[in-house]
Amino acid sequence: MTQRISKYQRFKMMNPVIQFFKFIYLSIKIMLVVAGGHGGTRKVN
Amino acid sequence: MSKIVILGAGIAGHVAATHLRRKLPQKHEVVVVSPNSNYQWVPSNIWVGIGRMKSEKIYFPLAPLYKKKGIGYRQAKAISFYPEGDKTEEKPYVLSEYVVGENKGLQEKITYDYLINATGPKLNFEATEGLIPGKNKAYSVCTYTHADHAWEGLSALIQEMKKGKKAKILIGTGHAKSTCQGAAFEYILNVEQELRKHNVRDMAEVTWISNEYQLGDFGMDGMLLSYGSMTMKSHEMVEMIFEDRDIKWILGAGVYKVEDGVAHYENLEGEYKIETYDFAMLIPAFSGHGFKAFDKNENDITEKLFKGFMIVDADYTPKPYEEWSVKDWPETYQNPSYKNIFAPGIAFAPPHAISKPRTSKNGTVISPAPPRTGMPSGITAKLVADNIIDSIKSGKESLNHKGSMGNMGAACIASAGYGMTTGSGVSITTYPIVPDYEKYPKTQGRQLGKTFGEIGLAGHWLKLALHYAFIYKAKMRPFWWLIPE
Ligand SMILES: Cc1cc2nc3c(=O)[nH]c(=O)nc-3n(C[C@H](O)[C@H](O)[C@H](O)COP(=O)(O)OP(=O)(O)OC[C@H]3O[C@@H](n4cnc5c(N)ncnc54)[C@H](O)[C@@H]3O)c2cc1C
Repeated sequence: MTQRISKYQRFKMMNPVIQFFKFIYLSIKIMLVVAGGHGGTRKVN
Repeated sequence: MSKIVILGAGIAGHVAATHLRRKLPQKHEVVVVSPNSNYQWVPSNIWVGIGRMKSEKIYFPLAPLYKKKGIGYRQAKAISFYPEGDKTEEKPYVLSEYVVGENKGLQEKITYDYLINATGPKLNFEATEGLIPGKNKAYSVCTYTHADHAWEGLSALIQEMKKGKKAKILIGTGHAKSTCQGAAFEYILNVEQELRKHNVRDMAEVTWISNEYQLGDFGMDGMLLSYGSMTMKSHEMVEMIFEDRDIKWILGAGVYKVEDGVAHYENLEGEYKIETYDFAMLIPAFSGHGFKAFDKNENDITEKLFKGFMIVDADYTPKPYEEWSVKDWPETYQNPSYKNIFAPGIAFAPPHAISKPRTSKNGTVISPAPPRTGMPSGITAKLVADNIIDSIKSGKESLNHKGSMGNMGAACIASAGYGMTTGSGVSITTYPIVPDYEKYPKTQGRQLGKTFGEIGLAGHWLKLALHYAFIYKAKMRPFWWLIPE
């Protein structure tokens, strides 16, 4: 069955204070994933 | 002295031009050839299409910036490639045609030492009968002018709904092989939120139509991701969002014809069906530009350079889905026949799809083409620029910078509604973009910690922050190069 977004989850999703910290956390996490480097795939270590 | 010619001033072309100019001494020439006079930050077209952002906020003219920074600029379109020159011109060149001003229609042989083809996709509306932006109540948000039209159409419908009209809204892909589902996904969520803001949500039936086999495929075969403390599949996440927003969905649909308020499609069962609508936004098929190439003696050598899009260092050997490997994907975006030609961004021909290909019972391929979003477009352009810079500086070919989409992460911050306190965004990060089933066999080819999803207001702020950061970077304001691609 499809997962539903509960009232509590929705509160967390839209609460500016919680979301401010989420914003900082996401910015850092995304930066780490994306700016964390890239390279080839053909040479296997 | 070297001359580097860049075709296209989209995300890939502009990134390449700016990095080349910053890192190469002025004696080397950097020239951009592009038919559009403006740079546009395409991802924000979504907000133009719901009337929350003026199109002027997402573009700026290229000519003054390029003049100031010492980048040559021709407002022209490339027509054909002569990678060996011709009988009268010794140097390789691109035949280009000016598109504005007193030179309009004039053709010029633009010679080069290095060529970067960053012409992106051709928005192939013609591939779907009747799919013309702004006609048949069907719109596009692929460019800012399209997005302006889309908002005109949507706002007129909202006014009618306020007077009591019940409406059907259809958003998704307009061809059996379209890509860029992410953009349509953002748009449907934004439109849905706008309807609520205008108090007309209960007057509308909102439907997603897509060539994806499952929701959340995004042309990337979907993904297994961490969401809070859970691990879920992207289709479960998107299903949850659509259920929450009361959005219906039609999947495995290859739209082949659009008439006034009617989309005709074939599904994977081989059934031919229609869906009526009062407003539609359908992403067209993307294709190559149909460029031709010729050798020194003017023999046609198009197949050495193009396979729809440009041929690069990928493994294009046709093979069954089970044998596809992440190693087939290109690393340097260099054309194997002409080593001074590169194609980053959407301009390169992918070796194969990422999603498992599917055909209808009638044999029609109904399957998303592989997406190449802004981030990989920028990263591949920068690494191409870096390799060219190294080659020029060292005097010999250097290909040390590599970036396969199978060893690169991408963040897709999909707007789900505009507003500083009421907005929302679905942030999905995927690593790697092309699944690597050898490295991550148990998690559908992706690294779980780096492949995650988040929904909420922070996503909207992130998308807005990226809008300002990338326009700042594109304008080459102080320390612009510190902002990563
Ligand atoms: C509505 C929408 C929303 C999106 N949202 C996101 C998002 O949120 N995040 C994300 O990462 N990606 C997003 N994308 C995808 C992203 O915009 C593309 O990946 C990116 O624009 C590709 O860059 P590119 O430079 O390869 O191609 P383009 O941006 O298409 O640039 C191509 C350039 O080539 C020029 N050109 C065309 N023909 C010729 C010719 N004959 N000669 C010379 N020049 C030519 C064009 O004028 C243009 O300047 C979105 C796309 C759309 C349509």
